[in-house]
Amino acid sequence: MSPRPLKRKPPEKPVDNKKAIRNILTLLKDHKWKLILTVICAVVSTVFTIIAPLMIGNATTIIFDGINNMIHNTGTIDVDSLINILIIVVILYIVSSVFSYLQSIFLIEVTTKISYDLRERIINKILHLPMEKVEENKRGDILSRVTNDVDSLQNGITQSFIQLTTAVITLIGVFIMMLFINVWMTLATVILIPIAFLLIRFMTKYSQSYFLKQLEFKGSLNGQIEETFTGHDIIRAFNQEDISMEKFESDNENWFTQEWKSQFYSSLNGPLMNFVSNFTYVVVAVLGAVFTLQRVIAVGDIMAFFQYTQSFTRPIQQITRVMNQIQTAMAASERIFEFLEYEDEENSSNRQMSEIKEGITFTNVSFSYTPNEKIIKNLSFDVKKGDKIAIIGETGAGKTTIVKLLMRFYDIDSGSIKIDGVDIEEFDKNSLRSLIGMVLQDSWLFSDTVANNIRYGNLDASDDEIVDAAGQVYADNFIRQSKDGYESVLNEDTDNISHGQKQLLTIARTILSKKEVLILDEATSSVDTRTEKLIQKAMDKLMEGKTSFIIAHRLSTIRNADKIIVIENGEIIEQGTHEELLALKGYYYNTLNSQMKENI
Amino acid sequence: MKKLLKPMKNKIHLILFIFIFLLIQVYCDLTLPQYTADIVNIGIQNTNFEFIINLGIIMLVMVAISALSTVGVSYFSSRVSSGYAKDLRKIIYRKVLKFSNHELNDISHSSLITRTTNDVNQLQRVLGFIFTTLIFAPLLGIGSIIKVFELQTNLSWIILVNFIAVIVLLVIVMLRVLPYFKITQEIIDRINKTAREILIGIPVIKAFVRQDFEERKFRKVNKEFYDVNIYVFKTILIMLPLMTLIMNLMVVLILYFGAYDAINNGILTGDIIAFIQYATQIITSFLMIGGFLIMLPRFLVSARRISEVLNTEITITDGEITNISSNPTIEFRHVSYRYPGSEKETLNDINFSLKPGKTTAIIGGTGSGKSTILNLIPRLQDPSSGEILIDDMNIKDLNLKCLRERISFTPQKAILFQGDVRSNMKVGKADADDGEIKRALELAQVDFVDDLGEEVTQGGSNFSGGQKQRLSIARSIIGHHDFYLFDDCFSALDMNTERNIKNNLKGLKDSSILIVSQRISTIMDADEILVVDNGEIIDRGTHEKLVESCEIYREIANIQIDQMEALL
Repeated sequence: MSPRPLKRKPPEKPVDNKKAIRNILTLLKDHKWKLILTVICAVVSTVFTIIAPLMIGNATTIIFDGINNMIHNTGTIDVDSLINILIIVVILYIVSSVFSYLQSIFLIEVTTKISYDLRERIINKILHLPMEKVEENKRGDILSRVTNDVDSLQNGITQSFIQLTTAVITLIGVFIMMLFINVWMTLATVILIPIAFLLIRFMTKYSQSYFLKQLEFKGSLNGQIEETFTGHDIIRAFNQEDISMEKFESDNENWFTQEWKSQFYSSLNGPLMNFVSNFTYVVVAVLGAVFTLQRVIAVGDIMAFFQYTQSFTRPIQQITRVMNQIQTAMAASERIFEFLEYEDEENSSNRQMSEIKEGITFTNVSFSYTPNEKIIKNLSFDVKKGDKIAIIGETGAGKTTIVKLLMRFYDIDSGSIKIDGVDIEEFDKNSLRSLIGMVLQDSWLFSDTVANNIRYGNLDASDDEIVDAAGQVYADNFIRQSKDGYESVLNEDTDNISHGQKQLLTIARTILSKKEVLILDEATSSVDTRTEKLIQKAMDKLMEGKTSFIIAHRLSTIRNADKIIVIENGEIIEQGTHEELLALKGYYYNTLNSQMKENI
Repeated sequence: MKKLLKPMKNKIHLILFIFIFLLIQVYCDLTLPQYTADIVNIGIQNTNFEFIINLGIIMLVMVAISALSTVGVSYFSSRVSSGYAKDLRKIIYRKVLKFSNHELNDISHSSLITRTTNDVNQLQRVLGFIFTTLIFAPLLGIGSIIKVFELQTNLSWIILVNFIAVIVLLVIVMLRVLPYFKITQEIIDRINKTAREILIGIPVIKAFVRQDFEERKFRKVNKEFYDVNIYVFKTILIMLPLMTLIMNLMVVLILYFGAYDAINNGILTGDIIAFIQYATQIITSFLMIGGFLIMLPRFLVSARRISEVLNTEITITDGEITNISSNPTIEFRHVSYRYPGSEKETLNDINFSLKPGKTTAIIGGTGSGKSTILNLIPRLQDPSSGEILIDDMNIKDLNLKCLRERISFTPQKAILFQGDVRSNMKVGKADADDGEIKRALELAQVDFVDDLGEEVTQGGSNFSGGQKQRLSIARSIIGHHDFYLFDDCFSALDMNTERNIKNNLKGLKDSSILIVSQRISTIMDADEILVVDNGEIIDRGTHEKLVESCEIYREIANIQIDQMEALL
C-alpha cells in the first residue's frame, strides 16, 4: 500500500560518471569523521530495528501458546516472559530511534556545510574569472549552479546517504533474519523481488517513450502560449484570435493524447509494487501456516515475517527512487565542478601603480575574441595625461573593446599598451584598475540604498561626501524628492528609478572614487532629450582635469575632444582634432555631412 | 474557485469509475488481515490444511482483483487529470485572448504565461494526488476502523492514544518549523538576488576592485542560509524517528494488552495480528492525508492565481454595427484614460481627428501617453471617459472585427511569430499572394529576405531589432487599411532606411496615417503634429508653426538639430 509516484522527470545523466563520483568524494573527504559516525549510527539503528520483529514474533508465540493452553485448560499466557520480551523490544526501538536521529543530524550538518562551501566557491569563482569566461556562459546557467545545482547535489548526497545506507543494511539484515526463520519462506518472498525489479525497468522504458513524445508537444504548446501572450497586441489588432485559438487547440489536444498515456504508464509502478507486497503477504500467511502446522516454525514467526517482508519491499522502492536522485546530483556536481575548474584570471605581477605621469600609448594592438576573427587590428595611438579622447564609429566597430583592453578585461594578442612607457601587463591588475573609472551605458547598480550605491566608489566616504558627489552630478534633487531620500532602496531590477537617473548615480559613484583615468560610454536614445542634457553636464563635470576616453555619440563631445579616433572594423581610419578631421574631407567629414542633411 | 471546477463537469462519470475502483481495491486489501486471522485462529489452531489452502486461494483472488483495480485507478486518474488540465488551459487561453490592455495592466504577460503553463500543471499534479491518495487514504482508514470494531477487542483505545501522539508530534514540529519556511524562501531569494547582482556587475566590480567586498556580502547571506537550514532540518528530521517509534510502541502496547484481552475476554492470536495490521493502516492513512495538507498551500496559490485570470472581467465588449463608409474619419472627443488603480490620468481631454489623406504625428517624452492614444483606436483598451468616433459612430458600437480590419497597427516593439516570413506577412492579410508580399517587403525596405519560406523562430529572435521593425512594418502595409498607426517603429532604423520607408508610405495617400516618434526628423513633414506632455496635448500644428509657438517642441528640436549645426 505504497503511495504512488505521480509524475516523473527523466533523470538527467552525468556525462562522465567516474569523474562526477570522484568530485563528490573529494567533497565528502573533508567530513570523513562525521560521515563515518553517520554510517555507524545507521548501522546501529538499522540492526536494532531488524532484531525487534523477531522478539515481537516470540511475544506472539507466547500469546498463541498461552491461548492454546487456555483452550485446552492446561494453563494460561506466561505474562512475565511476555513483559520481559516487550521491555527489550521497547528498548531496542528507542535506541534505534535515537541513533536514527543522530544519523540524520550528523549527515545534515555535513551536507549543509558542503553546499555552503560550494556556493561560496562558485561566487568566488565568478568574481575571479576572466571576463571572456563570464561572457561565454549564460547568466541563467551560472545562477542555477549557485542555487539549483547546489541544492540537488545536497539533496542527492543526503538522500543517498540516509536511504542507501539504511536500505542496504536493512536488505542484508532482513534477508539474514528471514533465512534464520525459514529458508523456503524466504525464497518464496525473495523470488518476486527481481521479477518486480525487471517489470519496473521495462515499464519505465516503455513510459519513457511517451514521456519524450509528450515533452515535445509540451514545448511546442508552451512556446505558442508564450508567443501569443507576448504578441497579444498584434493578435488582437490583426484579428488573429480565431486562428490562434485553432492552433492552440490542436497543440493542446496533441499534448493531451501523449501526456495522459505517459502519466498512466509511469504511474503503474505503484500498482505493481502494491501487487508484489500483497502477493508476498499471502504467500507468507499460507506458507507460514503450513509450516507452523508441520512444527517447522512458530506462529510468532509468521508475525515477524510479515514485518520483514514489509521492510523488504520498501528499500527496493527507495533504491529506485534514490538512483534517480543520485544521477541528478551527479549531473549537478558535474556542472558545478566544470565551472569551478575554470582558470582564475591571471594576475602574476605585484607591481603597483599610483598615478600617471605622462600618458598612455597603444602600439600595434591587435585582439580577437575568437581566433581568426580580429576585433581590433593593429591599433596605434597615444594619449597625453589630461587629454580627452573621443572614440567614434559604428556599432560593432570595436570601440568598447578598446577601453576594455585598457582595463585588462581581456589581454591583447599582439602589440602593447603602455602607461608611462611601461607595459600594462607588468602591473598588478587591481592596481591598474584602481586608476581607471568607468561609466558604462548599462549602468549597474545593486538593490541597496541610493547612498550605498554611490558609496561603492569609495567605501570610506562620509555621508557629506556622498551628498556632495550627488550634487555635482545634479542627482541631489531627484534623490531628495523621493520619499526616503538617500536611504531610498532600489528594487531588485533597479527599475524604480529611470534609466537616466541610474546613469547619474553611476556618474556620482565614479566622481566619488576620484580616478585618474575615465572611460565614459555616452547615453543613447533610450534617455529622453532633457535628461540626456543633464547627464552630459554631469559627465563634463566628471571629466574636468582627467584623462578621459569617451565613446561618443553626441557631437558636441566630439567637437571638444583633444583627439578624435574614428574606428571602422577594428581599425583606426582617421585620427586628429575635429578641425583636422574636417580638413581631411574623409570619412568623418562625409558622415557628419550626410547625417546633417538627413536630419535637417 | 467555482470556475475551476467547470472543466470537471464532463468528467464526472470517469471520476465515478475512479471511486468505484478505489472502493474495490480498499475492500480487497482490507480482507487480507481478516483472512490471516482466520488462518491462524481456525486453520492453525485446528490443524486444518484444507482450510488454509482454500483461504490462500481466496486471498490470491483478492490480491489479483485489487491489483487490477489499482491499474484502473491509474488509468482513469491519468485521463481525468490530464484532461482537466487540457480543458482548463483552453478556457484560460480563450479568456486571455479577450483581454484588453486594461486587464493586462493587472496581470503581466509573463505572469499570464506561468499561470497557463506551470500553475495548470501544478493543479493537474494535485488532482492526480487527490484521486490516488486523498480519496484512497480516508477509504482505507475508515475501512480499517470498521474492521477493528468487527474484531471486537478491547484494544481500540490504543489506536486513539497513538493517533493523539502523532497529532501532537506533528503540531509541535510544524509550529516550530512553519515560520521558518517563509524565512528560508526569503533567504533563497536574497541569495539569488545577490548572486545575480554580482554576475551582472562583474565589469563594475572588477573596475572598482571590489571582489573582496562582494565576497563578504555574499558570505553574510550564505551564512544566514546555512544557519536557518541547519535549524529547519534538525527540527524536521526528528519527525521520522519519532513517528516510527510511536508506530512501533503501538505494536508493543497491542501485544501487551492483547494478552490480557485474551485471558479475560477470549480473543485469539489471529485477532491480535489482524488488529496490529489494521491499526498500522489507520495511522498510515492519516499520515497520507497529512502529507496532502502540507501540499495544500502551494496548490491553493496556483488555484488562486488561475481563478484570478478566469474571474477577470473583460472590459472590451463587442459592438454590432458592421457598415463603415469607405473613407472614414476618426475623431477623439474629450478622451481621457486612467489605468486602474493609478492616481494620475495617463491621458487627459485629448481632442483631434484623423482625416483621409492626412498624416498626423505625435511627439513627446517617454511616458507622456503617446502609445496609449494609439492603443485606443483599435480598442486594445477603452477610454475611461470621452469618446472616439468613426464617422460620428462611437467605436464601441462597432463590430470589433470590422473596426480592426480598417486599421493597421505597428507597435513599438516589433513582434513576429514562429513560422516563416510568408506566414508572418499573412497575419497582415490572410489571402495575400507572393507578389503582394514581395511588394510590401520591398516598400518596407526588407532587403535581407531572399525566400518567403525563410524561417522565423519564436519571437523572431533570428532577426535583428532593425530587421524585425522592417518586417513588422511590411506586415502592416500589406493590405489596404483606412488608418495606419505607427508607434515609434522606426527607432531601430538608420536615417537612410527610415527616409526610404517614409517615401514609400506616400503611396498610402488615400488613407490616414498616425505616427508616434521621439525624433523630430521622423515627423517634421506631417500635416499636423501633436505635442503631448504628461497626457495632455499642449500644442499642435505644423513643424514651422510649432518651432515658433511651442517651447517644449522647440527645445527638443533645438537639441536634436543644434547638435548637427554646431559642428560646421
